[in-house]
Amino acid sequence: MNHTTANNPADKHLVDRVLRGDTRAFGVIIKNTENLVAQIVFKFVPVAEDRKDLAQDIYMKVFHNLAGFKFQSKLSTWIARIAYNSCLSWIEKKKLVLPGNLHENEEMYETTPAMMYYHSSFENNAENNLSQKELSDILRREIEGLPAIYQTLITLFHHESMTYEELSQITGLPEGTVKSSLFRARKMLKENLLSKYLKETL
Amino acid sequence: MNHSHPSENELQQYALGISDSNPDVIAHIESCPDCQAEISAYQMLFSEIKIQPSASFDFDVQELVLSKLPKANTGLSTDDIIAGFLVIFTCSCIGIPVYIFRKIILDSLIDIPPFFIYSIVIGTTGILITKILYLYKKFIRQMHFLNIN
Repeated sequence: MNHTTANNPADKHLVDRVLRGDTRAFGVIIKNTENLVAQIVFKFVPVAEDRKDLAQDIYMKVFHNLAGFKFQSKLSTWIARIAYNSCLSWIEKKKLVLPGNLHENEEMYETTPAMMYYHSSFENNAENNLSQKELSDILRREIEGLPAIYQTLITLFHHESMTYEELSQITGLPEGTVKSSLFRARKMLKENLLSKYLKETL
Repeated sequence: MNHSHPSENELQQYALGISDSNPDVIAHIESCPDCQAEISAYQMLFSEIKIQPSASFDFDVQELVLSKLPKANTGLSTDDIIAGFLVIFTCSCIGIPVYIFRKIILDSLIDIPPFFIYSIVIGTTGILITKILYLYKKFIRQMHFLNIN
């Protein structure tokens, strides 16, 4: 992934070329970052047509504000921040309510004794009772069931290998809040998976 | 050895391989079957998340965005050529008579009182400054609009 590399001369060179009017260089920036942008947009926007409008809107903002980018963060992190803020603005504009807030239903995910019992055998038996695909599908559904902010943090941290600091820059949340949100999200996912496994095996 | 189980947060950190817990906690985790099971569950979760398929747009983002961008100026357009011709024509219309009749013009300027010349210079400068300020404010407003949107 390109966003894991530090701000390098190649990024600066690309930005310089775009600022000199070379739109092909902007095409390269889009190619380098569109997967990262998609990871964020898909968490907030369920309708494909809206995603198209939003993706266009995000990159037009990037293009018009590129002259103001001072390389205080990675180019990809800056673009991800624009994508994240655009998603929040889109939700606000559409008067949508995000499914759940950061601390909603935490008590639902407390570990029960029954879950603890199955917990120890989960790893050994999971492969026998659930195929890799089934497990993967359950996890995908569970991730989709999390609040959008949790989904975004989980995906960017674990899937895109971003750091707490980068996540803080993207979301505008303090680093401590990012850490505690990730902690809760992982706990929710683990408990939900165990709960699902419990249902599958009973 | 510490007999109380570590916190959920410490277990997660350990499973991520970034544990900065004290040696007692680490020793407990490594010898406790319950904690080992927790760690295994988290590690399985993390590896499953890593292999989840990436989201990707089902349209060509580059094509979509690049078609909306202003085209880079690579050469002279017809408008540029017409504008250039008009500038040269206007300069010629003014410059050639001025050059031909320069002596008459200079002689006539000598008779003009200095106050009149100063008034013309000051008036013209004032109009130019007002116009430049107006254009600058308009430019700032447009840049602000672009940054917000």
